[in-house]
Amino acid sequence: MEFTQVFEPLALDSLHDFALSRKEDGWRYVQTLAVNKDDGVDLVYSFMKNGALVNSVISDVPRDAEVPSISDAFLAAFVFENEIHDLFGVRITDIAIDFEGNFYRVSEEYPMTIISPEQLAAREKAAKIAAAKAAKERAAANAAEASAEAAAEAEKPSEDEEARKAAELEAKLAAMDPEKAAKVRAAMEARAKKGGE
Amino acid sequence: MGKATVIPFGPQHPVLPEPLHLDLVVQDETVIDCLPQIGFIHRGLEKLVEKRDYNQFIYVAERICGICAMGHSLGYAETVEELMGVEVPKRAEYLRVIWHELSRIHSHLLWLGLAADAFGFESLFMHCWRLRERVLDLFEKTTGGRVILSVVKVGGVVRDIDGAMLREIVAVLEGLEAEYATIVSTLLTDASIKNRTVGVGVISHEEALDLSMVGPFARASAVNYDCRMLGRGAYGDLSDFQPILDTQGDCYARIKVRCSEVLQSIAIIKELVAKIPTGDIAVDVKGSPADGSQASNVLEQPRGECYYYARGNGSKNLERMRMRTPTSQNLAGMVAALKGCDLADVNMIILTIDPCVSCTER
Repeated sequence: MEFTQVFEPLALDSLHDFALSRKEDGWRYVQTLAVNKDDGVDLVYSFMKNGALVNSVISDVPRDAEVPSISDAFLAAFVFENEIHDLFGVRITDIAIDFEGNFYRVSEEYPMTIISPEQLAAREKAAKIAAAKAAKERAAANAAEASAEAAAEAEKPSEDEEARKAAELEAKLAAMDPEKAAKVRAAMEARAKKGGE
Repeated sequence: MGKATVIPFGPQHPVLPEPLHLDLVVQDETVIDCLPQIGFIHRGLEKLVEKRDYNQFIYVAERICGICAMGHSLGYAETVEELMGVEVPKRAEYLRVIWHELSRIHSHLLWLGLAADAFGFESLFMHCWRLRERVLDLFEKTTGGRVILSVVKVGGVVRDIDGAMLREIVAVLEGLEAEYATIVSTLLTDASIKNRTVGVGVISHEEALDLSMVGPFARASAVNYDCRMLGRGAYGDLSDFQPILDTQGDCYARIKVRCSEVLQSIAIIKELVAKIPTGDIAVDVKGSPADGSQASNVLEQPRGECYYYARGNGSKNLERMRMRTPTSQNLAGMVAALKGCDLADVNMIILTIDPCVSCTER
């Protein structure tokens, strides 16, 4: 028996029918988990058959959405559905054994939904890294485009020296960090304005 | 028929080393319904993944449970390696499985001792724990720790075991095997034990499948599933692996399955020691899991399949780490096994299921 794992999307509306069909097809229920997000949760339902572990992901479930229980098909799910309610605040309807919020004795309501300063810092850091990477790629693309244009312009015999210099300057600006380039442009405009006066 | 009465069982009870509460609905000494309650000591360790990077969290993972410590660190490391596409050296895979199977032996011996104590066989309890001490001594010699081993890291293991020590492990296990066979023979042929366990807390094969049960609890009802049969890591190099099964589905069958699994683990360790390759024991792991990347994993803990899930967010800290322990999965089966039993059999049924509340309340 070979182990394989896949993640596949699932719609919230079809969850209950999906669970019933898994049951009929002889799949074993493995677990349910939730992942906290800024404006809701992702729910992951896992089933296994002949070594194939299939994780069905319902993305971006709103926090006030009603999620149908699958404990009528798989009784073992009642533990995880009560847990997701108590820790993430997800409303799950018709749980076979419903503890109505008293499964875990927690001092804080829905503790897994609290975004800790560490998590916030990690997210901001990851976002900054991603933004810097994207800006670098964008700048490189712009620079390549500008230098190609400048080279094409330079090849034209009728182009005057001033236009060539402007094109080179534009290419340099495009290669710069966008914020810095904006500052340079503003300074140049101010200088041109002053010179005109 | 008498009037139905609710009898609270636990959270503090002589057969329960950890807090688990059951509301038993009893009618004429027969349990007609059962409502399990956990959550007394939930620690929120999964949330801690936000404050520890993926290398540090391995030390948190193995502190989820003292008995399953090695398994949790291994399951966590394998999941993060899957998430980051890390390939572990072959020797490290062998060492991991050797330690993991030693953990299974120590867990089953611990359980057998507690079960014997509950039966009233205090000398049997002493003998089981005496044998377990030898396994703990092996842990101490090879890792420096007796319970929390801290030998697994993302990318491999932190310590090697040299040839002389590997031979010593085999020698100790061979000595243990002979004594263990005597103990098991006494246990399984004792009339009073049979009287209390045969035909008690029966779960049929169909019920076990229907309730998605895992581990020895399920295998005692002939459910042919053990994560080790998936052949991952060093398990794939075993010449043959067949899960230990029984068909009766009662307390006695569950005892038999666990007893046989100790011998199976000894055989696995001996084979792996004979086959262990030379080479590196770890690879360097750099970088962070990509934002939105996710991976899952299953591992056969002493009590059954444990499911792990990790999601990255582009930083060193994981966005989410999840462990679904075998006891959580078997709670539905426990309720089913208790329904219809005599009140006096409740503790025996719970013992043979071997719930680990510490894992469940991670």
